[in-house]
Amino acid sequence: MRPAVSTRPRVTLVIGSGGVKCAAAIGLWSVLTEAGIAVDSVVGCSGGSLYGAAVAGGWSAEKMRSLSESLWTDDVMQGYRENLKASRDGSLRFNDRSGLVDDTVLNQNLERIYGDLQFADLDLPLKLVATDLYRGDKVILSQGSVRQAIRASIAIPIIFPPWEIDGRLLTDGGASDPLPVDVAIQDGADIIIAMGFTLSYRTRMRSITAVQEQLTSIYTNNILNATYAFHNLAHHAEIFPVIPELDEQVSMFDVDKIPAVIEKGAAATREQLPHITRLLQSAG
Amino acid sequence: MQISNRDANGVVVVLPVGSIDATTAAEFSSHIDNLVSSGSTRLVADLAGVDYTSSAGLRVLLGAAKATRAQAGDIRLAAVRADVLKVLTLSGFTSILQLFDDVDAAIASFA
Repeated sequence: MRPAVSTRPRVTLVIGSGGVKCAAAIGLWSVLTEAGIAVDSVVGCSGGSLYGAAVAGGWSAEKMRSLSESLWTDDVMQGYRENLKASRDGSLRFNDRSGLVDDTVLNQNLERIYGDLQFADLDLPLKLVATDLYRGDKVILSQGSVRQAIRASIAIPIIFPPWEIDGRLLTDGGASDPLPVDVAIQDGADIIIAMGFTLSYRTRMRSITAVQEQLTSIYTNNILNATYAFHNLAHHAEIFPVIPELDEQVSMFDVDKIPAVIEKGAAATREQLPHITRLLQSAG
Repeated sequence: MQISNRDANGVVVVLPVGSIDATTAAEFSSHIDNLVSSGSTRLVADLAGVDYTSSAGLRVLLGAAKATRAQAGDIRLAAVRADVLKVLTLSGFTSILQLFDDVDAAIASFA
């Protein structure tokens, strides 16, 4: 006797890049959980990897909140100012494995949070996105150490050193695919709940790093819009964008703004909830 | 979803009401196809009554733009609500479709 074929649509949650703003995924997940909406798999990119792993691991919203506080500690940016100065006066030779931040604290924080967690240990299938620094292509990480994959995915160019996995030097996933709905489509998702973030623009720039950061934001936002447009039109998956509207600028390490960010994530999800629910009910 | 039409100086104003998603997109698409195949290629979609469009809705709008433009016409959007505008902007539609604040301005743009 053949097993019954499930007609329930396959739902994938995608959490894109956005630094601290990605904490909005905690609000999203709380709302989906309260509404009884289950997801079948998770995709994360850059800051979204942190929370994607937490969702796939079945963590509670409270545990996710403590993740944010444990990760973005005051000393996580150690060395930045000194290294920036040293890179200007030539005493720091920058190469493909360099970053302005000494990543010792970041790596310790990640180890404390995720330990030796493996992809195989997670409750849900998880795919994390990084970028090959030499080839420029998207790299999908879905096996081995979750912590290592996250570290590669959040390696903000120039700020954090790239991370090597399986002989490939990897940098931030946002450099190739800031909102990787295509990964969900490849996996056969019928419904994609996609939380994405546009990067904030500076209102003034008075250093080469400020201009460089601004350009990175411009590139990333344009990649996001172009890829999102393409995947919306080229595939038949139903994509629900969840784009939190933040009243004030949230820079990469505005940890004190996380509670407000979480609430914005919840609010943006509540807006989409009736539409997601209706589609699930009609399909189920 | 409810869809109605009205004629305005050679332009057909299409008024969908409700959400355009995977459950309603086929109906909306069929409605547009019928208009285009009957020779109506200058269309205004009055979206004041549309509270949501998903990727399925975007595909219908793009299909409508292709079909009408292939016959020297166009589909132009009017009275787009904020939530729908957000989706249109994110997906780049605001740069490939013409949007107007109100229906009269959209109709006048065909003159």
